[in-house]
Amino acid sequence: MNWNEHFPALLLIIPLFGAFLAPICSLGGKMARNILLVAASFLTLVVAFLLWRNVLANGIQYYVMGGENFRLALPSGMALPVRIILEVDAFSAFMALCGSIAAFAGALFSVNYMNRFSGQSRFTSLYLLLATGMLGMMITGDLFNFFIFIEISSIASFGLIAFWRDKPSAIEASLKYTLVSQVGSMLILIAAGSLYGKYNALNMAALGSVITMGTMEKLALVFLVGSLAMKCGAFPMHMWLPDAYAEAPTGVTCLLVAVSQASLYGLMRVCFSIYGVAMGSTFVPWMIIIFGLASMFFGVSMAVVQHDIKRLMGYHSVSQVGYMLLGLGVGLLVLGDARGMADYGFTAIKGGVFHVFNYTMYKALLFLTAGALYYATGKKDLNEMGGLARRMPYTTFMFVIAAAAISGLPPFNGFVSKLLIYESSFAVHPSLAVVALLTSVLTLASFVKVFQTAFLGPEKNSLLSVQEVPPAMLLGMVVLTAAILGATLFPSWTLSNLVEPAARALVDQSGYIGAIVGGGM
Amino acid sequence: MGKVYTGFGYWDVGAWILFFAVAAFYILWLRAQGRSDYKKGTDQDEIYWSGNEVPEDGAEITVPASSAYWGFRKALEPFYKGLLGMHTGLPADVVGYYVLTVAVLAVFVLLV
Repeated sequence: MNWNEHFPALLLIIPLFGAFLAPICSLGGKMARNILLVAASFLTLVVAFLLWRNVLANGIQYYVMGGENFRLALPSGMALPVRIILEVDAFSAFMALCGSIAAFAGALFSVNYMNRFSGQSRFTSLYLLLATGMLGMMITGDLFNFFIFIEISSIASFGLIAFWRDKPSAIEASLKYTLVSQVGSMLILIAAGSLYGKYNALNMAALGSVITMGTMEKLALVFLVGSLAMKCGAFPMHMWLPDAYAEAPTGVTCLLVAVSQASLYGLMRVCFSIYGVAMGSTFVPWMIIIFGLASMFFGVSMAVVQHDIKRLMGYHSVSQVGYMLLGLGVGLLVLGDARGMADYGFTAIKGGVFHVFNYTMYKALLFLTAGALYYATGKKDLNEMGGLARRMPYTTFMFVIAAAAISGLPPFNGFVSKLLIYESSFAVHPSLAVVALLTSVLTLASFVKVFQTAFLGPEKNSLLSVQEVPPAMLLGMVVLTAAILGATLFPSWTLSNLVEPAARALVDQSGYIGAIVGGGM
Repeated sequence: MGKVYTGFGYWDVGAWILFFAVAAFYILWLRAQGRSDYKKGTDQDEIYWSGNEVPEDGAEITVPASSAYWGFRKALEPFYKGLLGMHTGLPADVVGYYVLTVAVLAVFVLLV
């Protein structure tokens, strides 16, 4: 048996199996449950890495679920693929790799972080279920299946955000996310149903090969783009995000960062692979660019005035999502214009894709450092912190790296992806680059504030007994720090091996369609 | 290391690391030129706080995070009033902004 062919299915089976195994494993005690959490996350990461390598070497991988042959996407005599098909191109594989790294780091961190609390069996189940939903969104080739995975990840998120159910603020955050998420899911379902009603297809590649713009298609596009932009935290639909990120256990917030990227992935898949050049008008690309600019500027403006460390970082998530929307929106704007794509469009897409990687790593790390501070001090309010660099040197070091990276300070990786976005968006209009630059300045100002108030200054009497966090928590942060430093020190390797293949796959609509429906329908 | 060509210019991480290494070396050298009469553990180590006695609790001599960038917030008060005003935290508003945004987009996309 050639295991390589089964990687797409294994990527979902491992965390899903782990989720259902957790209650049984819990009977064996805390250690067994923790081993399950870390082992399932690690194995998922290994499979994601092998799948990514396989895709780079052999091209698009697909896996037909429930059929007689898992390689038979379009049985003879059939006009459309009817099975659920997992389709993994370099963009999907890249996203799955980013998500798996965040899931593994969050799992390592949670081993000690969650030790003080009860209900860890539920936590482990929901955490792995959330990872399954996220990875499913990233590798499915079926629109309805995408909706199912969104629901799986949403339901797991509702439980995890409200994990500390004795805290009214956690229940409230979960309720808000539940409400807005369910309305969003309904619109996604309506869009998928409408497209199915007209084209008799739910497979994204099949839809991409037949879609033509009409009133229904336009409305379906708005429902999909609006809902997925809301799920990834675009302004002004972001209001659930700071609450949810602040209230969830920190390991979960780390994973939620990657889950929001799965929604961004869905948004890009809809725009580039299903609609693509058939979109015709530049209205939707401009809409995405405006979402990006608004998210960047208003997100960071809100972050500057926060003093709850996790809420502050939550608003920065809104702001950072804006960079990706800007980069990918600029690329989408010139999708049908070969010259524009060669001049600056592809650079913008590369910047957006690179920023996905960077954002997932440094934002996940920032949330973990915020969690480490909460674990060590019991405080989330920056007003009550100070002088912690002496007591928590390793956390401080990793915070500085993540803060410098998110602020786009050279030579860190955040600078490289932002540079690509600045230069390419400048080619569309200088004002786009000005907003992006201004956002970067405010990001730096915000993190200088966090660094100064939490880590520098005299020690506070109430924090004299604070100690560095346990090794497993540090190890979770080290995984992400290593990823940031790797992308910082080897930007050309990262771009040519991770980013460019993903960006190329994203714009290659015919390649994505051709892998499933072959020579057309 | 790595050189990244952006299509408009290039970015060389090695050059920046070299710059930081040189800058760090220069700063450390400058620091080493400090006063030779400095003695650790003496009154010279005392914090100078405008001639006043330094409070024992560090909390009393730090600017809290909520007061940071006070001038920035004050200068942009109307902007922040509007921005904070829209973040009511009410579940109806959270859903409302989303529904409103999608509705506006739907109208525009049909008109374009």
